[in-house]
Amino acid sequence: MDSHVAQLQMQYRNYILSLYQQGFLDDQFTELKSLQDDGSPDFVAEVLSLFFDDCVKLVGNMARALDQTGTVDFSQVGANVHQLKGSSSSVGAKRVKGLCINFKELCEAKNYEGCVRCLQQVDIEYKTLKAKLQDMFNVSVIIVHMNPVSVWDDFNKIILGKE
Amino acid sequence: MTVEQDFEALDQFPVGMRVLAVDDDQTCLRILQTLLHRCQYHVTTTDKAQTALELLRENKNKFDLVISDVDMPDMDGFKLLELVGLEMDLPVIMLSAHSDPKYVMKGVKHGACDYLLKPVRIEELKNIWQHVVRKSKFKKMKSTVTNGDHSLGNSDHKANRKRKDDDQSEEEEQERGNEKKPRVIWTRELHNKFLAAVDHVGVKNAVPKKILDLMNVDNLTRENVASHLQKFRSALKKINNEANNQQANMAAAMDSHYFMQMSSLKGFGSFHHRPIPLGSSQFHGGAATMRHYPSNRTFPGMFPPHVSSSRIHNDGGYIMLQGLPLPPLDNLHINNNNNNNALPSFTSQQRSLMVAPNNHFVPEGHQQSSSSSPHLEINKRLEDWSNNIPQSNVHSKPDALKWNIDTSTTEPTSFCRDTDFGSSYATTQADFLDPFQMKQHQENNLDPMTVAQLLRSSSGNEGLLFMGQHKLENDFMDSDAASLDDIVNSMMTQQEQSQAEFSEGDLGFGWQNNSLRTCI
Repeated sequence: MDSHVAQLQMQYRNYILSLYQQGFLDDQFTELKSLQDDGSPDFVAEVLSLFFDDCVKLVGNMARALDQTGTVDFSQVGANVHQLKGSSSSVGAKRVKGLCINFKELCEAKNYEGCVRCLQQVDIEYKTLKAKLQDMFNVSVIIVHMNPVSVWDDFNKIILGKE
Repeated sequence: MTVEQDFEALDQFPVGMRVLAVDDDQTCLRILQTLLHRCQYHVTTTDKAQTALELLRENKNKFDLVISDVDMPDMDGFKLLELVGLEMDLPVIMLSAHSDPKYVMKGVKHGACDYLLKPVRIEELKNIWQHVVRKSKFKKMKSTVTNGDHSLGNSDHKANRKRKDDDQSEEEEQERGNEKKPRVIWTRELHNKFLAAVDHVGVKNAVPKKILDLMNVDNLTRENVASHLQKFRSALKKINNEANNQQANMAAAMDSHYFMQMSSLKGFGSFHHRPIPLGSSQFHGGAATMRHYPSNRTFPGMFPPHVSSSRIHNDGGYIMLQGLPLPPLDNLHINNNNNNNALPSFTSQQRSLMVAPNNHFVPEGHQQSSSSSPHLEINKRLEDWSNNIPQSNVHSKPDALKWNIDTSTTEPTSFCRDTDFGSSYATTQADFLDPFQMKQHQENNLDPMTVAQLLRSSSGNEGLLFMGQHKLENDFMDSDAASLDDIVNSMMTQQEQSQAEFSEGDLGFGWQNNSLRTCI
């Protein structure tokens, strides 16, 4: 049983590391993790949940804005992109944030095709991230269930270099 | 030294400092809240600027500091900044994802104490209490105008500048404080006294000598007052001219009663907002820092030279600001107004909106999905997942490809332990998404005619949006009851369910319709 848990934990660790290495997450995510403690044990999950809800909403807004039959209001699309950029940078969703930066330029250039394409990319990107984090979270729940030692301890050790 | 004593007394102070945080982005708001808690401040959050204003007005001593986002749908952050600065004289910190210096400049010009960039770091928040100290210290110090005080102010400013970030510039107050010449600085306090005195003597009698006597301030000469008065009058004249032009339009479109309400309280804010092309920045600072009298309603005789142009006299007995508030009546101003007679009806509307639908939705939200053979599923997924670790792009879900192609927006499956969080939020989302959208559209092309419309729709929006938020809190709290296994299982199953719900979207505009459909 112990070895099973240890193996899981190792895989879990590797998984998280890979997310960082592949640019899905950045330091801000680490900061977020460091804010979680006994006082707010579900903090990260809660914030991520809010973030993904925001993504849905903002992407929907942008889709509607781009779907206008008349002239497209790029400033509105831009406003939504801006907000998405803000929230993605706050949670550490690196790729999403990167896309938002491009997206903003496309909005300013009023490049319709570019915007539509970029929006689709954003959509894919946040969903991918969500799936990955969901898996990671699910596993962490199981690990915690199997092994009372907090799984974040391992995480902290590796990522933050703390004991 | 009194200054040292002040600082000693403030040793306990940063702990428990009361902060009001305003940001329409709930993700950022939640993070900000936690960060502030970590700094041991006492935090109140709201996602609407209007709510923030109400909270602040309801008790002026309830908060020490305000942190506000710049881009908010219901009110421009800069506007909120001005209003808070003028009405409550609280330090306001701006927050934004815009790192563009011109935004920072704008913030500073509107009176922000500080300008932070998102993502906010806790180190930056640990220092924000300095703004509260500084402001209260200056209030005491600058009521008497002396050299000694100024030089003290200088050293504070210099120390402060070292701590600031690169992309921040000095406030106007700092600029004034840096003056080393023995000249009179027209601080807010001083200017208020000036206004009070002018008001007291009356329009026609506003002569420097009398004003000086009434002000009763040390080290102020008649010449100081005279030049200040002169600048003041010329500024007013300029604004009044413009006011005359725009007022004709305004008066026609607006309900006069509401208009009066609005102008009585918002006059200062809008005055501040206008770029006053005066020669000296000193006066600009002074005029800009005009603030409300303790009694919000009476502004008699404030602008003596223009009594002839007084437009509206409220039957309630208070004279409106002549000319001043009217033109720069940004429609946003009108929109987000004060809590006076015109508005309570909206508030109650909002409340009823909030209560009813909320109750209605709550029962719907909690559908617990049952699961079969959860452990088998979990194990299977784990295997797939662990096999795929090296190339983490490959997802264990069978329809991974479908996921990538299909860009339709699904219901937000909940991420945290509260499994129903996502689905219920999606339902509420649908309700306010369209009005929200509509509102944004409307805000883009405002004119007096649509203001009334906006008002109606905005009250509706606020009710629904607030409801949404209210709902969030409810759901999240209720989740704790479920057991771990159940939650994990139902999460798994729910995901499978939502996967099945995917329709084959196309890469064109079809997917947008899908997103709407699943949201609704």
